[in-house]
Amino acid sequence: MDVSQYLEIFIDETSEHLQNLSDCIMELERDPEHMDTINEIFRAAHSLKGMAGTMGFKRMQHLTHDMENVFQEVRSDKLKVTSSMIDLLFKCLDAIEGYLNNIKESSDEGTEDNELIIRELNNLIAAANGEQPEEVETPAASEESSVGEKKYFEIALSESEKDKLREAEKNGHHVYGMTVYIQKDCLLKAARAFLVFKAVEELGQILVYNPSSQDIEDEKFDFDFSFFVSSEASFEKVSGAAKAVSEIECVVGEEVPYEVLAVKQEKAEVEAAAAAAAVTAETTKAQEQTQAPKAQPAAAANNNNNARKQTVSKPVTNRTVRVDIEKLDALMNQVSELIIAKNSLVSISGAESGDFQSQSFHEQIEGLERITTSLHESVMKVRMVPIESVVNKFPRMIRDLSRKLNKKMELYMSGEDTELDRTVVDQIGDPLQHLLRNSADHGLEDNAVRLEKGKPEVGSIFLKAFQEGNNVIIQVGDDGAGIDVEAVRQKAVERGVITQEQSETMSKKDIVNLLFIPSFSMAKKVTDISGRGVGLDVVKSNIEALGGDVEVKTELGEGTTFTVRLPLTLAIVQALMVVIGDEKYAIPIGSIANIEDIPVEDIKYVEAKEVIHLRGKVIPIVRLTEVLDIEKTQEEPESLTVVIVQKGESQAGLVVDRLMGQQEIVIKSLGKYMNNNKIISGATILGDGEVALILDVNVLM
Amino acid sequence: MGVNGMNNNNVEVMEKEVKQYIVVMIGNEQYGIDIRYVDNIVRMQQITRVPKVQSYFKGIISLRGEIVPVMSIRRKMDLPDDEYTNASRIIILKLEEKGAIGVIVDEVKEVVNLSEDQIDRNTNRGRFINGVGKHGEELISLLEISATVEEPV
Repeated sequence: MDVSQYLEIFIDETSEHLQNLSDCIMELERDPEHMDTINEIFRAAHSLKGMAGTMGFKRMQHLTHDMENVFQEVRSDKLKVTSSMIDLLFKCLDAIEGYLNNIKESSDEGTEDNELIIRELNNLIAAANGEQPEEVETPAASEESSVGEKKYFEIALSESEKDKLREAEKNGHHVYGMTVYIQKDCLLKAARAFLVFKAVEELGQILVYNPSSQDIEDEKFDFDFSFFVSSEASFEKVSGAAKAVSEIECVVGEEVPYEVLAVKQEKAEVEAAAAAAAVTAETTKAQEQTQAPKAQPAAAANNNNNARKQTVSKPVTNRTVRVDIEKLDALMNQVSELIIAKNSLVSISGAESGDFQSQSFHEQIEGLERITTSLHESVMKVRMVPIESVVNKFPRMIRDLSRKLNKKMELYMSGEDTELDRTVVDQIGDPLQHLLRNSADHGLEDNAVRLEKGKPEVGSIFLKAFQEGNNVIIQVGDDGAGIDVEAVRQKAVERGVITQEQSETMSKKDIVNLLFIPSFSMAKKVTDISGRGVGLDVVKSNIEALGGDVEVKTELGEGTTFTVRLPLTLAIVQALMVVIGDEKYAIPIGSIANIEDIPVEDIKYVEAKEVIHLRGKVIPIVRLTEVLDIEKTQEEPESLTVVIVQKGESQAGLVVDRLMGQQEIVIKSLGKYMNNNKIISGATILGDGEVALILDVNVLM
Repeated sequence: MGVNGMNNNNVEVMEKEVKQYIVVMIGNEQYGIDIRYVDNIVRMQQITRVPKVQSYFKGIISLRGEIVPVMSIRRKMDLPDDEYTNASRIIILKLEEKGAIGVIVDEVKEVVNLSEDQIDRNTNRGRFINGVGKHGEELISLLEISATVEEPV
């Protein structure tokens, strides 16, 4: 049965179920008795099992099956939810996510059996039924106990491999099965394995590897590996050669006549089949219990949908369609073309002062403008997705961090339903995660310190998202220690990032911004003192790549807040068109504060740089003719047209020759050939076919 | 290159190996551009200057709604700067990895067929040239496209 066509649906839905499970388990941790939550976890695990089974992912099915069983016991009150159980459940989720990632990459779940987790799950079930756990074990102990097993019998041999083994035996060689255990503290497992193979191959030929030699090379194995080797030498000699390699814990093995092997293989296959049958039977039974339709492979999608409708307790939202993002991109491009065509009509209607200029022509043009604008908005909205899909993994992350760092903390999130362009949402996860980690790790003080300072013991981290004009703002902050600006200042001087003089004139804000400089944040010592800095430069460059920016505000002893500002859309923006010399440039409206006429004599100098005083603020002046190497076409006029742009709280005044007006522009990339120094963020095609460049004002500040 | 291998042993295939080149004038020299790379040839048009980019870029033009960077081969070869005439053209080249790029030439003359035995690969003519084609009495320097459009190392 070819189920590959359902793979994408499977991946999507599995992710949804995993998220749902994660939320529920968090919930359960807070309220271990809550029956609805328990039921929901049971159902989600059950659906996952059904889906995995349908798709033929046996290991994933096995794991979810046992998870489901545990919850069966919890539901029937035989088992109490404990914190160790919660930990185990999270381990299960991680394991399932591991499978899912493998499936995403290679359409295969991989070879990790997660036996340890399964055994622990089974012990829970056994305990619930009043039985003694099979083995009372800590993870370490169980690993210990597995050393010495003859794992080469577990290798599933393909026909060709069997032939090879048979052939070797026929040719009068001995065939040995061997399992080699590497010491647990060995750092270069792959290298050790390589040395073992090299030593063994001097005496014979290795016929079958488990895991595959490629996986071993890539260190994709635990601390043991097995192989079959054909050799003329005695077993003692071969195993001696393997043992001679350093950091090898032990080598088990024996001569394996093909007969014996064939029997073992057959038995294993039968067992596997039996297990599979049992699972299928169980699946069916369980599904009848929950009254879900029996899983038909072909109806997998349907079935999963039904299952989900039962599972998700939230109200079923609008009917939706999954659309390939490429189709949306194509639609967006067509809308862009339409806007360019519309702009050219507008410019014709403005330029021609002729006879055909009737009233109705103007009306039609206006109508067209309205339609294109609303069409653009609709397409934009289709591309918008809530940031929920990114941020909802954070509560779990903070929980884990809290355990790991041994600090009590709570994450407060708001505005998860804030929407952003899909492409932005896809890429904002990592930077946000980084900022949250930063807050948890460096921002928050230890609980004891917090109590001493009279703060609540449990630290708070918050993530707030909201829309502001054409931007979406995401704030990540904490009520921790804040950044020690003086320490950063000192370190910056010590490290030669700034001079002593500079450090004295720099504002607190400028100093804090030093943390975003790559070389600076690399400095470990600064990090220790200021408690900030690792990788902030990466966060900044990631966010800037999306056309956004990031700012930091901090108060010593009270906390730190990072404010990430992102554009709602990437492709089409409103812009102010300006003329400088005889060139046209577009400045995105979103970054413009206001436009001023400034008499030349109002320009003052601070440190030999031009500034203006405007309503109590000192604003630096940027001569675009100089920055952009534009030839001056006119004498310096008596008053300058200055476009005040802003990024967060900093402002700059851009001197332009003339304003052309506001226009909707389609942003086009300059391509890969030109090494632009970022001042130009792209180009746009104007109504008359002319090309104008788009200024990135963030770079000018 | 497979071409060298063919020189040694397979005359028949070699004779069939005919490539088409667009012959253009740059200064008083004829250059050949492998037609596989040519996407379009357009008349000279207004080129929008882009500040702070490599000096051999003249700027960008809009071509069927897309932005295409335009470079000057003359500047890259350290020849006197371009003078636009009625014959000036922009050859739009399309490269797999980096997309379209325009190259200014003084004039487009013709398209010629050159087989490998008409091409002298041995003369060393500088890093932009990978051979010299003989077409009748004319000599045509064949441009190595990737070296021409890439960043000088």
